[in-house]
Amino acid sequence: MSYIIACYKWVVDEADIRINPDLSIDTKKSKGKISDYDKNAIEAAVQAANILGGKSLGLTFGGPETRLSLKDALSRGPAEGCWISTGEAAKADAAVTAKALAAAIQKISDVSLVFCAEGASDTYARQTAPRIGAILDWPVVTSVSKLDIEGSTLTAVRKLDDCLQTVKVDLPAVVSVLPEINDAPIPGLKAVLAAGKKPVTEIKAEELGIDFSPKTDVTEIKGYLMNRKNIILSEGEAADKVKELAAYLRKEGVL
Amino acid sequence: MAGIYIYSDKKDIVAELINFAKESEKEACVITFKQEDAEAIKDFGAEKIYVLKGSSQVPENYGKAVAELLKKQDADLFAVGATARGRDIAARTAGYLDCGMVSDVSSLSYREGTVISQRMMYGGTVIQSEELKGLCVVTVPAGKFEAAVGGETVEIITIDVEADSRVRLIETAPVLREGTDITAVDTVICVGQGLDKKEDLQLAQGLADVLGAEIGCTRGIAEERKWLPVERYIGISGAVIKPKLYISMGVSGQVQHVVGIRDSKVIVAVDLNEKAPIFRAADYGIVGNMYEIIPLLTEALKNA
Repeated sequence: MSYIIACYKWVVDEADIRINPDLSIDTKKSKGKISDYDKNAIEAAVQAANILGGKSLGLTFGGPETRLSLKDALSRGPAEGCWISTGEAAKADAAVTAKALAAAIQKISDVSLVFCAEGASDTYARQTAPRIGAILDWPVVTSVSKLDIEGSTLTAVRKLDDCLQTVKVDLPAVVSVLPEINDAPIPGLKAVLAAGKKPVTEIKAEELGIDFSPKTDVTEIKGYLMNRKNIILSEGEAADKVKELAAYLRKEGVL
Repeated sequence: MAGIYIYSDKKDIVAELINFAKESEKEACVITFKQEDAEAIKDFGAEKIYVLKGSSQVPENYGKAVAELLKKQDADLFAVGATARGRDIAARTAGYLDCGMVSDVSSLSYREGTVISQRMMYGGTVIQSEELKGLCVVTVPAGKFEAAVGGETVEIITIDVEADSRVRLIETAPVLREGTDITAVDTVICVGQGLDKKEDLQLAQGLADVLGAEIGCTRGIAEERKWLPVERYIGISGAVIKPKLYISMGVSGQVQHVVGIRDSKVIVAVDLNEKAPIFRAADYGIVGNMYEIIPLLTEALKNA
């Protein structure tokens, strides 16, 4: 039975990031989460596995903290999980990440379809699917808003800046999906309990024989401060606040 | 020939990237996949224009061919317009070259063989600076550089290449947009999940009518509740807008949304929750019940 893989990323929840006065960033209080858009990629893989009669598998790459992600990912439907574990993931750039995922896909070997989200909620670089396709030399279909599978042919509607494009591709292929592709369900208690019993494989990154040196050199990471007036009217009667706001807007000349 | 190689499916970005190459004191070499696309830009000021001719009508299917050309020509950098097609072909090329790539740069320069770039992370909370050496790839959104003023007509070089024919184009249809493009208007009223029910969009419409505004929304309103078409949602994965006036109602202001509005001239927020992050991103805010505030505001601005 062939595998239908959803690649997902365990990321820092950006809502918990604190920006210090010197613009350095503090992620100590940040919890991890499955990258928002990856939930739709996971659901797409689960649905495709049902159609193809294959087995859905959630595949991730990351450091020790990523272990926590597996139960969450599996509660969303995949039959199996696979974690490429490394101490180096924090330093990994898109080139390294794609090589690790592609190497694992080759190791899993009987794979008919790989799903990714368009981008991750931390980096939103939108490189992973095309890069995996290039490394495996598989066909790639990105920006997919709708898909149908018949036999071993996938028909996808791609949403581009100026048009909708329908393409056909024979599997295996790498597909990146837009969040609108499906409604990713919120796992119920039963699904969460079942997730703990699903098989998980850990692959040590070193076993994959990849060059882990990133191609990009990060020279600075700093917080972005919105430079806004922050005139917030919180006291008093609604009518007075509205009057005051209207006066400000007239003065700004934006009406 | 060394130089900065350029691709975009948007002519405007091609002109801007030609200028970037000139500012970097490098030759601008533009890659196209159709004779007519090459003809359309032949006097934009590039030093070279290539047509990679193959059997596919989908530019993204030429990633491998582009990678081979860049390697053969000893290219310095591949600069690509950050559109859906552009990002795809850029990342595929980077994958075939096994080289570094920076996506959607917010700033970019090239000096003595080093690309210096900045981009946003975590939905816009963080700016990351990166440096890359050797042949690498960047994607560049529209408007980062002035357009090149043009130049002499250059010769178009056609190279026969092999495209990836496995992804077959069946049909192309224009995107059906409901109403006006919200990235192109002066005033946007944005509704968020503070709105109780779909019928209450009428509230936003009332204010929009008075201001000649269009209605936008957060991702949740479009994708979870499906109250408005996805073209209307604003944020990192949706529309990025820069109107003169943005007014939000019932929007909490998650970073992914705020990144889509932060180039607006004036940002106004109305929300019940004093601690909502939208107020930190706003010039003016009213803490209050929008069901009370918005009708009053609509009335107050009627004669503005």
